[in-house]
Amino acid sequence: MAMKGWVPAARPFGELQREMNRLFDQVFGKHFAAVGRLRAGYVYPPMNVWETDDHYIVACEAAGLAMEDLEVYVTGDQLTVTGRRASQVPETGVTLHRRERDSGHFSRAVTLPGPVDSAKTEATLSDGVLTVRIPKAPEAKPKRVAVQLETDGPDGEKKGD
Amino acid sequence: MAKTLTTNTDPVNVPVHAESRTGELPECYFVPATDIYETADELVLLADLPGIKPDGLNVTVEDNILTLRATPAQAEKAPGEPLLEEFAAGEYYRAFQLPADFETAKIQASLRHGVLTIRLPKSERMKPRRITVKVE
Repeated sequence: MAMKGWVPAARPFGELQREMNRLFDQVFGKHFAAVGRLRAGYVYPPMNVWETDDHYIVACEAAGLAMEDLEVYVTGDQLTVTGRRASQVPETGVTLHRRERDSGHFSRAVTLPGPVDSAKTEATLSDGVLTVRIPKAPEAKPKRVAVQLETDGPDGEKKGD
Repeated sequence: MAKTLTTNTDPVNVPVHAESRTGELPECYFVPATDIYETADELVLLADLPGIKPDGLNVTVEDNILTLRATPAQAEKAPGEPLLEEFAAGEYYRAFQLPADFETAKIQASLRHGVLTIRLPKSERMKPRRITVKVE
């Protein structure tokens, strides 16, 4: 279940927006989705967030960005990705036929649903996808509780029958 | 500078959605955002293909139709419970009609940080030639 009980701070209208996108995708087909600007509430970079027992994992589509173009912060339980995407088209001396790729500064923050251990956060960049692994704070991890069987006798057999 | 006067060399028109020569089209696919610019010597195409590795990429030119297709590496299982899903991995497909005079044998393609760069050198005939004006 996506977004269970959790709306990122940056998207107060997440529900409406997602519904709009769903309708949009239904009408125009999934292949249109990559033209992000035409969809409602376009934010950059697009993010996927997953939760495991130990981590939150955040993936961002960040084509054309090198690690030095990116800054990743964890503040409290908030993850911020900022950076600058340089235009790769020369400013002068060229004839421009198409410009669909956005460039410029961006900053995006999401609030994670629980406390995290920011010191052990790892960020990797591979083929234009930024992946951030943020360990959950120890108190937020599920704890296994040993269950002991109650028995009436030392051998686990009931007495008195 | 590199400005050309003609408009009929605009290579960006005619997205080819017909049956691809490189095989059947996937049922749904992403259309990568693309920048195209032209210098005196070449046409340069930049396409965003996040998540694509070089061996998943297929760029062809046939009958002056430049086709790019890309397939992401075998999708891994979701690493956990999804909380937010704004993008998905999938195939990319886009095709462009090129004007006739490119040195198709010398096309160069490179993939870096998820951006594909294709350089198409112009043939000699298409390069702008400076005409010296004599003042009499």
